[in-house]
This record gives sequence, C-alpha cells and structure tokens, in this order.
Amino acid sequence: MTERIKLSRRGFITAVVGAGGALVMGISRPLMAATAGAEPWETPSDGTAFTPWIKIDTAGKVTVYVTHPDIGNGVITQSCAYVREELECRWEDIRAEYAAPERDHAMGSAYSAVGGALAYFSGRSTSEPRRTAFMTAAAGARERLKAAAAAAWGVDAGEVAVAEGLLSHAASGRSAPFGEFVQAASQVVPEAEPAPKTREQWTFLNKVDPAKIQIPEIVTGKAVYGIDVRLPGMVYAALRQSPVMGGTLVSYDFEAIRNMPGVRAVVEVRPTDPGEPDRIKSPFPMGAAMNGSAIAVIADHYWQARTALDALPVVWDDGPGAKWKTTGMIEEAVMAATRQPGGTVELSVGDVEAEFAMGGTILEAEYMTPYCDQVQMEPLNCTVMVSDSAAEVWTPSQHTQQVFALTVQETGLAPEQVKVHQTYVGGGFGRRVFGDDSRMAVGVAKGYKGVPVHVIWSREESVRQGRYRSIMGASIKAKLGDDGLPVAMRTRISGGPGYFTMGIADTVLPLIVPNVQVESQVVSDIHLKVGPLRGPGYNSTVFFYESIVDEMARAAQEDPLDYRIRLYDRWEDKGWVNILRVLKEKSGWGQPLPAGHARGVSIGNWGMGGRAHHGTTLGAVVHAEVTSHGEIRVHRIDVAFDTGRVMNRDAVRVQLEGGTIFGLNLALNEKLNIENGRIVEGNYDEYPVIRMADTPEIHIHFEALTDHDRYDEIGEPPVGPVGPALANAVFHITGKQMRTQPFREHDLGQGGGV
Amino acid sequence: MSFTLNINGNEMEVDAAPETPLLWALRDHLGLTGTKFGCGIAQCGACTVHVDGVATRSCQFPVEAAVGSEITTIEGLDPQGGHVLQKVWTEMNVPQCGYCQSGMVMAVASLLKDIPEPTDADIDLYVDNICRCGTYPRVRAAIHRAAELMKA
Repeated sequence: MTERIKLSRRGFITAVVGAGGALVMGISRPLMAATAGAEPWETPSDGTAFTPWIKIDTAGKVTVYVTHPDIGNGVITQSCAYVREELECRWEDIRAEYAAPERDHAMGSAYSAVGGALAYFSGRSTSEPRRTAFMTAAAGARERLKAAAAAAWGVDAGEVAVAEGLLSHAASGRSAPFGEFVQAASQVVPEAEPAPKTREQWTFLNKVDPAKIQIPEIVTGKAVYGIDVRLPGMVYAALRQSPVMGGTLVSYDFEAIRNMPGVRAVVEVRPTDPGEPDRIKSPFPMGAAMNGSAIAVIADHYWQARTALDALPVVWDDGPGAKWKTTGMIEEAVMAATRQPGGTVELSVGDVEAEFAMGGTILEAEYMTPYCDQVQMEPLNCTVMVSDSAAEVWTPSQHTQQVFALTVQETGLAPEQVKVHQTYVGGGFGRRVFGDDSRMAVGVAKGYKGVPVHVIWSREESVRQGRYRSIMGASIKAKLGDDGLPVAMRTRISGGPGYFTMGIADTVLPLIVPNVQVESQVVSDIHLKVGPLRGPGYNSTVFFYESIVDEMARAAQEDPLDYRIRLYDRWEDKGWVNILRVLKEKSGWGQPLPAGHARGVSIGNWGMGGRAHHGTTLGAVVHAEVTSHGEIRVHRIDVAFDTGRVMNRDAVRVQLEGGTIFGLNLALNEKLNIENGRIVEGNYDEYPVIRMADTPEIHIHFEALTDHDRYDEIGEPPVGPVGPALANAVFHITGKQMRTQPFREHDLGQGGGV
Repeated sequence: MSFTLNINGNEMEVDAAPETPLLWALRDHLGLTGTKFGCGIAQCGACTVHVDGVATRSCQFPVEAAVGSEITTIEGLDPQGGHVLQKVWTEMNVPQCGYCQSGMVMAVASLLKDIPEPTDADIDLYVDNICRCGTYPRVRAAIHRAAELMKA
C-alpha cells in the first residue's frame, strides 16, 4: 500500500470515530437483504470497513454504501453488482445501506468527491468514477482477504483462490469463509492497491442480470418509503401553499378549527428571503429550493389534519402571478418570443438569412409543448424533527446531500447537528431533485419543535405546487438543398424562467446543417416554478426537430426513415444510422397496414452535449391508428438504441420499456392549464396517465449497440423520440401534422379510418 | 369513535371518526403502511385491499363500512412473501420504484381468484391501477406466468 492510501484509510477511520464514536454510525436505515428469503438486514456491531464503500462482518455479510437513491432505476442493485464482481462474495450475502450525507460531511466528502455535485443524484450508477470507486474498494478488500488467509496458512497469497465468499488453497486443501479473516484482512497493508478487472475478465457484470434486490421488500409491503416513516411521538401535518406561486398569506382563522378532533396547531411558513446567503455548499443552488408562503395544520393523524385544513379559512394575496388569466395568455407570450430575433445565440454557423434570401424550398413551422408535472406515485412528503440543537430528516429524496444542505440552510444549525435519512422513493422523474419538498417540511417542523412532524402534500397539492417541465415553444425555418437535405436552419426557442436548453444547439440536427442559427429567449415574468422532468429540455426539443425532419422528408418526397438515414449519415457517430437500419428491419417498416393505421419514426440523443459517441442515441418506430372517431390508438412501439455497452441487459430493458411509456404519455396526454395564475389540474382524473389497457406492445432491440466504450444513461432516452414518432404516424394517417402537445387535444376529425 | 376491524385475520381496534378512509386507519392508526396513498380519489389503485375478497380502493372506503368485513392488506397476502405473485414479481423484475405495486399485486390477486386464466382483455379490465414507471408490460407478462404456475 502506498503512503497516500495508508493515510487515507486511517483518515477515514479517524473521521468516522470522531463524528459518531463508532465505525458503524447506525443512522441510515438498512435497505434490504439481497435475495428473497434472506433475513432482514441488521447492522452488525463487528463489521470491518474496507474504505468508506464496503463493510464486511464476521459472518461474511457485505454492506455496500450507496450514495444515490434508487427511484426505481436499479442503482442500488448495480452498485452491489460492482462489488460482487470484484469481491467474489455470494450475491445473497450483499446488503446495501445508504451513505448518510452527514457521514460524507464528517469524512471530508469521502462520497461526494466521486462524481462531484451529482454524486448523490439518483441514477448515473454506471458513471466511470463511481464504478471505479466501488470496484477498486472491492478489489482491495478481496486482496486483503487473500493475503490474510495466506499468512494464516503459511502459503503464497498468489495461490489463494477466492470464489463465492470462500477463500481456498488447492495444494493444502484448506478453505475458509470470508468472515474468518475480515479482522486480519483489515490490518493488511498491501504494496499497492489492485486495479479493477478489465471488462474481459468480468464474470458477473454483463453475464448475470440480477433483478432489483429490494423487490421482496416491495411486494410484501415492507419497503419503507418516505410516507411510511413512523416515529415515536410523531405528528402529521397537512400542507397548503399559496395557490398562486409567489403569493403570500394574508390571514387565517385558527379558532374555526381549534376544536376539531386531533388538531394541535397551525404553523405558518414564510417565504425564504431571496438574498439569504448560503451557509454550506450545496450540490444544486440553494435558490432552486426556496420556500414560498404556506400554512400547515398539525394533528394527531393525517386525516384529521387534512380535514381541518380543508375547513380552515385562509386568505391569500395572489401576487403578480395572478395576471396570467389563462393558459392561452402564456402560450401567446412564449410563441411571440419565438417570432422575433434578439435572443441568446446558442449556435451560429454560416449565414442562414442569406440562404433564405436566395429562395428555394423553404419550410416554416411552429411547435409547442406545455407545462407538465412528474406526477410520481408517492405524493411529496417528508418527516422532520427540529430542536434547538439538532435536526433530523427522513426523506424520499432524489438527492440526499441536497436535503442535508437545505436542512442546514433552513434551520441555521451547524452541519454536525443535522442528520438525513434516505428512504425508498416512490418515483422521482426529477421532481425530488431540488429538495424544495424537504425544505418546506423543515420549515413546518421549525414551527412545531421537539417531535417528528410528518408533512404530506395531498395529491392536489403535489400537482399544483410542482417544479414543472416548462412550457416551450419553437419557431423553425429550414431550407432544403437540391438533394432534399437541409442547407440552412434557424431555430428560435422560448420558455418560462429556468427552462432547460438541453437538445437545442447541442444535438445532431443543428450540427449537420451547413448554415444554422439557434436562438433562445425567456419569458421572464411567468411565475411558475420549473425543474427537471425525465429528459429535461430533450423531451421537448426532439419533438420540435424530429417533427420538422418529417416535414423535410415530405417536401423531399422521400420515405421518412430512408430520408433520416441519408440525413444523419452526415454525422460522424454512425450509431444514429445503425439505429435507423435496425428499426427499418425489425419494426416491419414499409409493410402494409390496415386503413387508418401507419408507422412513424423518430430519433434523438440524450446526453451527447454536442459530442459524437457520447450519451445514448435512441430511435423509435410507432405503429398507431386513428379511429373513425378521431381517437389515437398506439399498437406497437419498436425501440433501438446505442448507449455503447450494457452491463445488466434486463435492467436496461426495463428502463427502456418504462421510458417509452412515459414518453408516450407525455406526448399524448399531459398538460397543465393555468387560470388566474393557479394550476387547474390536481389529480389523475384531470391529468390522465396511461394504464394497462392503453399500453402498446413494446419491442426493445439491442442490435444497434455499437460496443463503443461507454455505459451511458438509459432512463431518459426514450422520452424524446416516442412523441414525434407518434405525431409522424398520425400525419401519415390523417394528413394533419400535430405541432403541439398533448396530442389528445387535436381534433383529428374522421381520422383515417374507413 | 372506536371500531373493531378484522384485518389479516386479526381483530384490531381503531379510534377514528366514522368517515375516516380505511386507508388512513390502516396506515396511521394501525401502522400497516404497505397500503399506499396515491390519489385519494380511487383513481390510481395504490391503496387497493381486499374487502371480503373483493379488490377495493381503501382511500374512498369509510372505516365504519369496514366493520364486520374481512380485510386483507398486502401484509396479509402471505406474510412470508411466498404468494405466487410475490415470487413471480421478484423473478420477473416487475417493480421499478415499487410504490404502486402493493395495490397492483392486490388487484391481480383478486383477478386470479375470479378468473384463474385471464385473457389480455380480462387483465385490461381488472387491472386499471396507475404505474407512472410504466411496469405494465411486465405486470401483464407476470400475470400470465402466475396463472400458469397456479394451474400446474
């Protein structure tokens, strides 16, 4: 072992002992046993730490410390798989535990140094630094175990084999389970840390597709989500925030509810001072999660709190947001901004205006996508206990470290006085990233100190107080050359404050057109708050670009899939063309369909950031029908993708299936309306979500993987292309190009049926 | 008011207003948090339990109406996790975030009791629970698999 590594390991132990008095802090809730039938995990007192990432106890049970909350994407399982690959333990002996952010803080960013600000951001389990951290730690533990066994047996460490949690020496016939040597192994100081195996040496990753290890907990109702946290002395809070974002509380009448059953108190939360200085470094800006004006009723049980809240007379001052009387006013403002020059220039190559002035085949079209909510299944909630000297938080967050920072910020306590427990998460899709939900709960608990306060947003409150996918509009003008491919394209894009620009200038289409101008503007007086929603930016921009590409193909009188092969062959990453060819072969493209049916195609890339061989490229062919009543039905979706390589095929497949359905719903159904500054829709009866009966056949094709050396993100990629592929299919049936989402709002008249 | 409920074969006392939804009696008063709150308006099905064997959305079912009925929650389906659906759900990697799956499993358990070999149309009709993660293709495949196993 090098001096540096020796120091860092000792540093780790010292830091942990200093912070919590023991190697195992025992503050994060253990997650689960690795397989069905294994006993529920109990933190052992004799576990030995091998770096901050792994602990092994004398029974050979392995604990993996996971930073990133599992929002259903399988990141816990993947982290365990990395350790399994190198440690050669038994899969059923692996448990996971969330790496508490206070542990990270106490250890000088031991966890968040890997992966930077996104270290605690759910997903991205396959990122190189994180994978390397887990695998290096596991390899180091394995070699120490081997060395300890060799020393005890008086043999050469090179002759000690390890498999399935068992150390063995063939020549002498000796063998022993890991547990026997963990104490001795922790004292081993190797010459150097072993490097993780190369991909060719893997025996588990890419070979075994383990299902998510928490499923047995889920299907027995034992998994504890944020909303399931139960603590001694806990009280419940029902929350209402200003119905118009940015509005303020004028008055309320506690006397009207004081004597209702179970009611204890009303707590007012005041808006965060926008000029408040940061007390601690946070992964995402503190400004992304400022409290608005809110009121909460606290009672012995949630139903009592909610009933009392409904009965509580409250007067609000709506503030400036109320000026937006209708959805149409906002839509007009956004589209008006796209019709004029003067925005931020995102990309400028050649001279588009000169090309347009010369005439030729010119297309112009306007597109729009609306405000949408993540509507994750678990309504927002968080449990917080605040005293004068400590705060403790239980949260279904997508970014535990952000919650830690916000709790310090909101309470004014020192970081050493704050603990955050990550729970299971009932869906995220970006909603639980910024931490505003947890900060609001801290704000409420500050007003009712000394007991845990379990704050629950009703579904309506969750939907109407969102951090939305922003409305976005685009005006696109394009000129086709003699070969039918674009020679010039001008894109002007607009949205509400905070909208995401990913996919506007940094995707392939603007990079392969010789003359291109991309400009963006913000309608800065829209008051609605925005945040990430599965594939932010991308889930609108692919719709804009891939709709106009279909319109270009039509103008060029060419098959839309063949046209795309010709167009995207201009790009150096041939993954795009591969995907289109696989789709052409696998989806039945070109084969006859009944009247009223057609196929549409679309392609995009999530995460490329303007670079070839980056991110995940994904194409979709949608087979749709428009009935004689003008109703859209989707029968089948084929998906082909290139994320370089995959490690757990089934985990990839399941995310692509889910993302495809998510993208379909976004395009077909989702829209929030605004009335006098308020969000109109509140629940699933008004905000439709696809159910079993609406789900098409989904075919995921792995054949387009290029084996490029990357393992990129997989949750977001389908969300872009599914919508435009459907719009393009509907055009081929009806002759109507749907340029705005959601598609259910379009009058398709008699459809294309017979 | 105090009510005696029969839940998962046990007599349990709940002290709550009569109109309190069964969902909140289970979750807050009895600590049976496997039954989830999703919408509160019987739309999403995350709160599905069995009332006398019938899949019922507990968020719209008053606690006073539950008196005298046999209530089964996900915790009572098979406490050892050995129900065929629990096994198949695990083997086929069905849940993603998992939040809706207690309700999904309870809805499917009721379907398979009524129709041991359901068609896709039966599934569409009986299982209209919302899953925002989009597990529907796997739920459908798992139902067919469970039906096969139950037949064998």
